[in-house]
This record gives sequence, C-alpha cells and structure tokens, in this order.
Amino acid sequence: MFLITIKRSTAFAIQSFWRNIWLSLATIFIIALTFLSINFLVVINAISDSAISAVKNKIDVSIYFKQDVRESKVAEVKSHMETLPQVEKITYISPDENFAVFKERRKDDEMIQEVLQELAGNPLSAILIIKAKNLSDYPEILKAIDNPAYTDLIDKKGYDDHQAAIENINIITKNVKKGALIITIMFIIIAILIVFNTVRIAIFTHQQEISIMKLVGATNGFIRSPFILENIFSGIIACGLAISVIYFLLSLVQPHLNNFFVGVDVNLIGYFNSNFIIIFGSQLLGIIILNIISSSLALGKYLKV
Amino acid sequence: MIHLINVTKTFEPNTVALKNINLHIEPGEFVSIVGQSGSGKTTVARLLISEIKPDSEKGKIVVGGWDITNIRHRQIPMLRRQIGVVFQDFKLLPKKTVFENVAFALEVSGTPKSRIHQIVPQVLKIVDLADKLNRYPQELSGGEKQRVAIARALIHRPKILLADEPTGNLDAINSKEIVDLLLKINEFGTTVVLVSHDKDVVNGLKKRVITLEDGEVSQDQKVGKYVI
Repeated sequence: MFLITIKRSTAFAIQSFWRNIWLSLATIFIIALTFLSINFLVVINAISDSAISAVKNKIDVSIYFKQDVRESKVAEVKSHMETLPQVEKITYISPDENFAVFKERRKDDEMIQEVLQELAGNPLSAILIIKAKNLSDYPEILKAIDNPAYTDLIDKKGYDDHQAAIENINIITKNVKKGALIITIMFIIIAILIVFNTVRIAIFTHQQEISIMKLVGATNGFIRSPFILENIFSGIIACGLAISVIYFLLSLVQPHLNNFFVGVDVNLIGYFNSNFIIIFGSQLLGIIILNIISSSLALGKYLKV
Repeated sequence: MIHLINVTKTFEPNTVALKNINLHIEPGEFVSIVGQSGSGKTTVARLLISEIKPDSEKGKIVVGGWDITNIRHRQIPMLRRQIGVVFQDFKLLPKKTVFENVAFALEVSGTPKSRIHQIVPQVLKIVDLADKLNRYPQELSGGEKQRVAIARALIHRPKILLADEPTGNLDAINSKEIVDLLLKINEFGTTVVLVSHDKDVVNGLKKRVITLEDGEVSQDQKVGKYVI
C-alpha cells in the first residue's frame, strides 16, 4: 500500500509536470534564475577572498640585523620567535644569500655594480622574514621583536611600510563581508518570495484537481505528495540547468580573470569544483525545503474542505 | 442507512440553513430531496459528505451506522469512499481521459493497478461508455460527462449514491438517460439520494420525495411529487 502510494504520487507528479509543461518550465526558469543569482554572489565572494588572501600573503615582518651580528645570535632570535603562537613561518636569509639576491636584482644598474666591485666584502646583513598566522597577530610579533635584549642586534624592522596596508585590508575585508552578508540575505529573501509565489500559482492552477481528489476520498498526504515531488523535480532540473550555465559562464570569464588579477590566483572553476557538493547541495536542499514549506502552506486552504 | 437527528446548520454570521431537521432514509431507498434555492437541500448533501459540519451544540448525523457528527479530519477520506457523489458541474479533470478520471478514485485509495484495469472497464460498461475510455471530457456531451461522473462515484461500490442536481446542466433527453441510470443503480441495491429542483425529473420518478422549505422539512411523501 505504502509503495503503491509512493509510486502513484511519483507518477502523478511526472504526469502533472508534462501536462502543465509551460507552468513547469516557468517554475524551473525562476528557480534556475534564483540559483544563478545566489551563485553570482558566491563568485563575488570567491574573487574577493582570493584577492584579499593574495594581498595578505604578501605581508610579513622583516628583521634586518646589524652587520656584525653573528649567525648564532640570529639563530637565537629565530628560535625565540618560533616559540610565539602567532608565528606561522620564519625564513632566514643569510648575509651571502642577501647579497646574491641584491646583486642579481641590480645586475642592470651599472652604478651599483661599480660600487659593489669597489667594496671589499659583503655590506649586507642577515634577515629574518616572519609571517603571522593572522593579520591581527602582527602587533604581538612586533612587540616581541622590540624586546630590549635584541635592541643591539637589530638594525631595523621592515613592517612599518605595511602597517597602513594591513589596517586598510582589515577594514576592506570586514566591509566586503558585511556587504556580502547583506546582499546574500536580500537574495535569499527575494528567492523565498519568488519560489513561494511560483508554487502558490502552480497550486492555484490545480485547485479544481485538489477539490476532486478530496471528493473521491484522497487523504491530505496523498494530495500533497505529488505537488511536493513535482516541485522537487523542478528544483533538481533547475539546479542542473543553473550548474550548466554557471560552468559555461565561468569557462568564458576565467581567462579574463587571470589577465585582470595579475599575480593573484583566482581559479573560480577550481573553487566551484572543490566546493561543488557544499555550494550546490546546500542550495538544492534549501530549494527543496522551501518548496515543501511553500507547497504545504499553499495547499493548506484547499485541504480544509 | 442515513439519519439526520435534530440537525441545525448556521452559516456565519447568522444565516440558518437548516433548522432542527430530522431525516431517516432506509437502505435501498431512492429519495429525492427537493426545494427552492436556499431551502437547505444542498446543505444536507454537504453535511452527508462532511464538507461542512452541523452546529456543534446539538444534532446527530449517522451514515451507514457511522456517527459522522464530529468526524475527525483524517477519517473524512474513508467516509467519502463509502458515499458516491455526483454534482451538477460533473467535476471531471479536463486533462485526464475517461478511463483516468474514473481510475483516479481508485488510485487515490491505493488500489493496485491490475485491479484498476479490471474494475474500471466494468463500471464504464454499466454507464454505457465502454467505447469512450480514451476520450477527454471536452470530447464528450453533457450526458456522457455526467455518466463518467456516475461511473467514478460507483467505483468504490458505495452503499449510498448522492446526486446533487445531476441533471441541472443537461437537456431533457440527457436528463432522462441519467435518471434511468440512477434508477438502474438503485435496483442493484444502492441507496440513491437525489437532490434536485427539476420538477419533471422528480415527478417522473414516483419515489419518495422530501421537501425542504426555509431549512425545514415541509413534506415527506412515500410516493411524492414536487409541489412547490
């Protein structure tokens, strides 16, 4: 009996879907548009996250040691800094490596090359490049560097130049997230209203059928289930359609993004691939739940008779 | 078979459709309930299928030994499978064929497909539509549509057939066909309750007639006539 009911509800849902094909297509189209709108927002978030994390990755603190500081002392400072929980990574650049990099970078500058040839030894010192786990961790790290025990060892810190940038990025990140949240909520409200009304219209067009079902002794559950199933079909088809359109658009946009964000890895297709289940699964689940609630509410007044 | 005991029905805000009426219909009877518009005859029909409920403070409705006065919502489908109902506007689904319209009543009650394919042609044969299984309602005449509705009403083999103005949309010839069909169904033992304001139909039956006036039973004749 239960299996017959499920099978029959599915058959009614498919039959109703085909016999009201224009209404079904309109529903699918609107749900697909909703999916596209939400995923447009996902794209914006992905791009801003990539851009922000790329800039964040470029931020670090450089400690320039005095020329006469021995390597063992630098190693001591490195060991101490590594004990800080805020530190993610410390890179040591020896005076020789520093000098080699400098020479390589200025190899086309004749004046610099001449000066370097006149110098007897290596004028450059060792450097420690410290990367924090979070942007907000840098003040703690700077405080640790300002330890009086190291004052005689350190020539200068290379962080002041980034401080304003870090503050700006922090503000931008917070504002982007706040804006994205507001836009997401707006899109979700619009999606709920669109889907709810689409389902209501679909059920309104079936009101005669519902009254006849009641008349011939159909239970409320039996009346409800084909509508819910039909809307789930529409949701799944709309999701498939939206996925196809999104991947098509991404394949068109991706090369331009790579040109636009030089030096920043903005791989949207990769992002969607690696988060496929979370992005589309949650949206599909949301639409299905929304359809079930909308169908139940819209059917309510017809089921009372 | 059907008992309405001291039943009153008031519609909001204060329209009294039925005033403390008493009706008793025995199994196998053919009863016409007649009256002018607003007399309360359709209210009786709606009460019998629990589309509406009587005023709560008094009265009792019993159908086939089942007290449906305060029937629970989830029990209504079971009641409606025991009472076949036919309406003036046929209430057929336009996007379903004749076969599908009749089968629909069995499908909603979870009847297996094989059984549906066995019963539906038999019932359509009774109403003389065996050759029009695959037609859609818009391809049928008014009389044929009503016969489809009767076939659907009979599909659960109900003990009661309630026909609310079944000839209201039909010409004289089609009306006669439908009435003859109702009489044939009655001969098989089904209790038929005909709600009508068609004098010719009711007077031609020579069966029991209950007349309602302003929500009250004004006459109840064993072999009656529509006299208002």
